[in-house]
Amino acid sequence: MAFHRRRVLRGVVGASAFSGAALHAPAILGQARSRHAGTTINASCFQTTYFEYLKNYFPEFEERTGIKVNFTMQAFPVYNQRTDLELSTRGSALDVVNVTFIYSGRWIGAGWLENLDRFTKDANATPPDWDPADFVAGPQSAMQNAKGETFGYAWEGGAMIMSASRFDLIEKAGLKMPTTFDELTQVLDAVHGKDGVAGFTADRLHHWNWIPYLMGQGGRVFKDPPDNLTPMLDTPAAAASAAWYANLLMKYGPDGILSYSDDQAMRSQMSGRANIRTQSITWHVPLAKHAESTVRDKVRYAVMPRGPQGDFPGSNSHGLGIPAGSRKKEAAWEFIKWALSKETMARVVKEHGYPSVCRRSIIASPTFKEVLTLNGQDVASLFLQVLELGGKTGYMKYRTVPVFPQVGDKINKAIERVATKQQDAAAAMKQAQTESIQDLQKAGLKVDL
Amino acid sequence: MTAASIPAPGGPAASDFARGQRRFFALCVAPSLAVLAVITLLPSLYLFFTSFTPLSLTRPETSWDFSQPLENYRQIAADARLGNSIWVQVKLSFWTVTLQLLIGAALALLLNLRSRYLEALRTVFLIPMVLPPIVVAIIWKVVYTPDISPMHGMLAAMGIPLRSLITDPNWALTAIVVADTWEWFPFTMLMVLAALQMMPQELIDAAKVDGASAWQTTRHVTLPFLTGVLLVAGLFRLIDSIKAFPLIFILTDGGPGNVTEVTNYYSYLQAFNFSYLGFSSAITVVLLAATILLSWLIVRSVGWGARAD
Repeated sequence: MAFHRRRVLRGVVGASAFSGAALHAPAILGQARSRHAGTTINASCFQTTYFEYLKNYFPEFEERTGIKVNFTMQAFPVYNQRTDLELSTRGSALDVVNVTFIYSGRWIGAGWLENLDRFTKDANATPPDWDPADFVAGPQSAMQNAKGETFGYAWEGGAMIMSASRFDLIEKAGLKMPTTFDELTQVLDAVHGKDGVAGFTADRLHHWNWIPYLMGQGGRVFKDPPDNLTPMLDTPAAAASAAWYANLLMKYGPDGILSYSDDQAMRSQMSGRANIRTQSITWHVPLAKHAESTVRDKVRYAVMPRGPQGDFPGSNSHGLGIPAGSRKKEAAWEFIKWALSKETMARVVKEHGYPSVCRRSIIASPTFKEVLTLNGQDVASLFLQVLELGGKTGYMKYRTVPVFPQVGDKINKAIERVATKQQDAAAAMKQAQTESIQDLQKAGLKVDL
Repeated sequence: MTAASIPAPGGPAASDFARGQRRFFALCVAPSLAVLAVITLLPSLYLFFTSFTPLSLTRPETSWDFSQPLENYRQIAADARLGNSIWVQVKLSFWTVTLQLLIGAALALLLNLRSRYLEALRTVFLIPMVLPPIVVAIIWKVVYTPDISPMHGMLAAMGIPLRSLITDPNWALTAIVVADTWEWFPFTMLMVLAALQMMPQELIDAAKVDGASAWQTTRHVTLPFLTGVLLVAGLFRLIDSIKAFPLIFILTDGGPGNVTEVTNYYSYLQAFNFSYLGFSSAITVVLLAATILLSWLIVRSVGWGARAD
């Protein structure tokens, strides 16, 4: 065999390049592995499908980095209460937390979360292709403070859309998916009770579900959030809207609707017992995809109906952040970096059909469009439409102010009192206003009186 | 110890012995008291002092701010929702304690026979009490949710459709009372059964000899014998009813509106949903004081603790 110098050199260079390429990734992973090997991090979130799916891939992350992940999930209110308390003590029990939308202003404002810019701006901690700018601005804005510093990265962008689980009944009545509030009641009048199906369904989180209707009818929660948090719950528009929404629940909803959780409302649609619902997209997708759904070939999607004063579909986001008290912040960032990387998110979308991601590159991908083509309908475009609307006009700012949980509670109670006829709408909303002002004053805030 | 070494009663040696004995007993219980002080007294003291501050978790500067010590108590007096929660608490406590005593005592009287079948039945009746409270709440959530409820299903099949009870302001509290009674009547039943098993047979025999009927024996012999245990059970249940939480949390969340919102639940909301720990502590201090006062009044009214000598 003849050895040519050039061929040998080419071979050596090629072999070096190959070994370099082959060793490159393991060297980085090995570095992460050696730095954090044996570390256990505690992460927590409310019960959600994204992390149910992601848990399947934890062994791969643990194998790569040597970091063991102890991940717990609780019911939404339980998670928020526990984490609120844990963060307030600046304890080190948790290393990664879900930054819940309605608590984001409070947790960031109180300095309970770590500024993640120090990781993303450090090339050693975050490779450039992780690309923080790839996260859609609307959902991501809830994870930032007024200075634009980032305290979380969004894993879920909730966009409120409308679904009709029994669109066949609407078609049979000679109608289309409603596009305005008036059309919504017209459709409900036509289909409610047909085939034993309630016209409308909703969960009991009225301070989320009702607000798009309130705004569409000219009402507001606060005067000018986040600068002026004077509640605006006792205005004639708010009272009229509360009465209108309570009627929607009680006239067209299934019996017991006021006690419905998110899951119950979804199952009332999946089983074909209730028809129309306006809620985040996550709760609508299973109607077309879930194996237990009886309405997979009947469901239809649309944007939320618009009110006389405009279109205000709810949008929100939940992100992952690191508590200020965590003692394993670097390892926690390794986890966040992996959990929210383009590759991991794309995989969850592709393999599980998860619909609510916030990375623009994934939303724009053909895979996402394919995943969100539900019963032949392009739902991905509805999703983007709502996310961009929320980001553009900032009407969702009411929801991330630190005192929203208090005011939200008053709204929930008021809607229940109106729906069960304990009070008329004007009296119930006046009471909500008075109680909200008392609570805001308790929080040390000034309101216009 | 020999008989000679036992001090004579009344002598100086006897009083030394008694003093030594008391010291020994005090030393024995001291570790338990110390642990109790750490886990009960210290948090209670913290609660008490916090009630004089506007402590909010989101405002760390409020943690030891005693500039307006009575502000929380002033707000308590002006808080209509708190007033409503106290009234709901009174109704809930009255009905649950009354029903649990009546049903528990009645069943204990019926089951107080020596029979293998009845012994098995007693065990069955105890099941609700030994289930974790959250499981009980979920069971009743199923029972009260019309879509999936066997009760609603059966009634509908019989042509008697029943609207959702837990979302009806006229029935929601009753629904909680029923569930709580189901969960806790076995406690009274158990206590009464234990008392009945210790009841001297001579009392019953004497009544029989005097020609008393079964009803007369129950009315004039058994029930007076049970008065003490019923009061103890009632007191325990009363205190426990003030701590009602899981059923309300799972079934109604205090609603619809505020019709099932008891004081304990309202205090929890203030602390853990709204972060007003100072205000919540003040509510808890008042609740604690009311519970102690109520217990003391009951104990005093039945003459417990009075020295026999």
